Amino acid sequence: MVGMSLVSAASAARASAQVAVVDTAHTLYHEAPTRTNMTVYTPGVDVAVTPASWLTVRGGYEADVVSGASVGVKAGPAYAAVNPGADVISTASVRDYRHAPRAGVTLRHGDVAYTAQYTYGTENDYKSHSFFVSARTEAYDHNTQLELSYSRNADLVCDRTQAVNDKPPRFRALEDSRGCFGSSDPLRTRHTVSIDALQATWTQAWTPTVATQLAYTAQILDGFQSNPYRSVILAQGLKAQEHSPDHRARHSIAARANVYVRPLKVAVRLAARGYRDTWDLWSATFELEAERYFFEGFRIAARARYYAQTGTSFWSDDYTGGNKPLGPKGQYFTGDRELSPFHSLALGLRMTYTVESANGHLAGLMRSLKIGASAEVVNFSYDEYTLGGIPITNARAYVLGLNASASF
Amino acid sequence: MHTLHPRLAILPRTACLILGTILAVRFLAACATVKPQQRAVLADPIMQFEGDPQAAAQMRHAVDNREGSYGGGGVSGGGCGCN
Repeated sequence: MVGMSLVSAASAARASAQVAVVDTAHTLYHEAPTRTNMTVYTPGVDVAVTPASWLTVRGGYEADVVSGASVGVKAGPAYAAVNPGADVISTASVRDYRHAPRAGVTLRHGDVAYTAQYTYGTENDYKSHSFFVSARTEAYDHNTQLELSYSRNADLVCDRTQAVNDKPPRFRALEDSRGCFGSSDPLRTRHTVSIDALQATWTQAWTPTVATQLAYTAQILDGFQSNPYRSVILAQGLKAQEHSPDHRARHSIAARANVYVRPLKVAVRLAARGYRDTWDLWSATFELEAERYFFEGFRIAARARYYAQTGTSFWSDDYTGGNKPLGPKGQYFTGDRELSPFHSLALGLRMTYTVESANGHLAGLMRSLKIGASAEVVNFSYDEYTLGGIPITNARAYVLGLNASASF
Repeated sequence: MHTLHPRLAILPRTACLILGTILAVRFLAACATVKPQQRAVLADPIMQFEGDPQAAAQMRHAVDNREGSYGGGGVSGGGCGCN
């Protein structure tokens, strides 16, 4: 451990003279709960060049390759009960690609680092321009780090053009993403979505083996936030595109602690997060992670995460029960299980191997190489969400990750 | 009665929280006395809050799209990818 610390310290000392770092990460997400399935492969690569100690320039690219079948029409148990034998749920196949190139710069002056980054995201039914800025400073012998970051997204989401006189209970869902952008299809329209997010983070070293972090995050979303493809059955013979409020303000406070337990040579990480938003969704998250070195440069971490949330004020598993027209469930309706009450438990492992060159040249050109692999299983338990009254089973997700980082 | 636009209504509370955090940091941070020569363990990758930022961001991206909440892990973004 002490040897690794010295290697790490040497690495940090060289960092200022480092020329380039290449990072690549790949994540595979797969879930197949009742009647649906979703697989998302996310590859990404970033290159950061530090030509001078005060300047880092970076560029990168990330993608999402999405395929699966999601719920197209959502109905609840009351509707299914009065329509026995009818299959009131339909699924729709999903196939999409998100491309997100990005570029950024970090300027350092004394103990302060300023970062700016731009990301352009494009997929068949969604376009995004994201601007990110942050300022980070250190104080009290580098024991205190403060960071303030802000991002602004100016996004466009595709939707079906609705009849002029129709109201949300008559809106029809988007059939597919053909003609969403770059065409004059009269059956396609675009809605704006603006997202402002602010985060203040305080990281503090308290003792030689204890550090904590406190982060407050606020986010304001304005614009179309429903899934344009999904419909909800509202009454006998009436299905409508799901309709969520256009405005949402979200807050969260996260606290983390890293403690190195010397007798066990284990780093223990504890984290807790509380969240609430103006859709009246509350959540709590607790994480526990333990990591230790098994031989020089090779470490394994075991992780557990518990998450629980309430549903939004307008969430219902069945909207056919005569909700008050001006109540939250009368004005808004959704079939989104992420807005329903549920809890989840995730268990995972992560391995990391780092090799440093003693003379500054690994395999002839690298100063250091880090390789990581992770696997996680997430089990979701939905309190209310059903498909036509049938609870979804086997709601389990598998997440695999691979990443590598090389400095030159 | 004059009311703030919904987009601005969050600002006073946000400002109070940030101000409170800054004051708390100034008061509490001065208590910490870890000397530079005592920072070997803290500098080790095993004690970093986010050792692999890109991998951690991808994991957050996957998880955030399956949950109704958000926050605590950075605010940079780009695109939806929220199927």
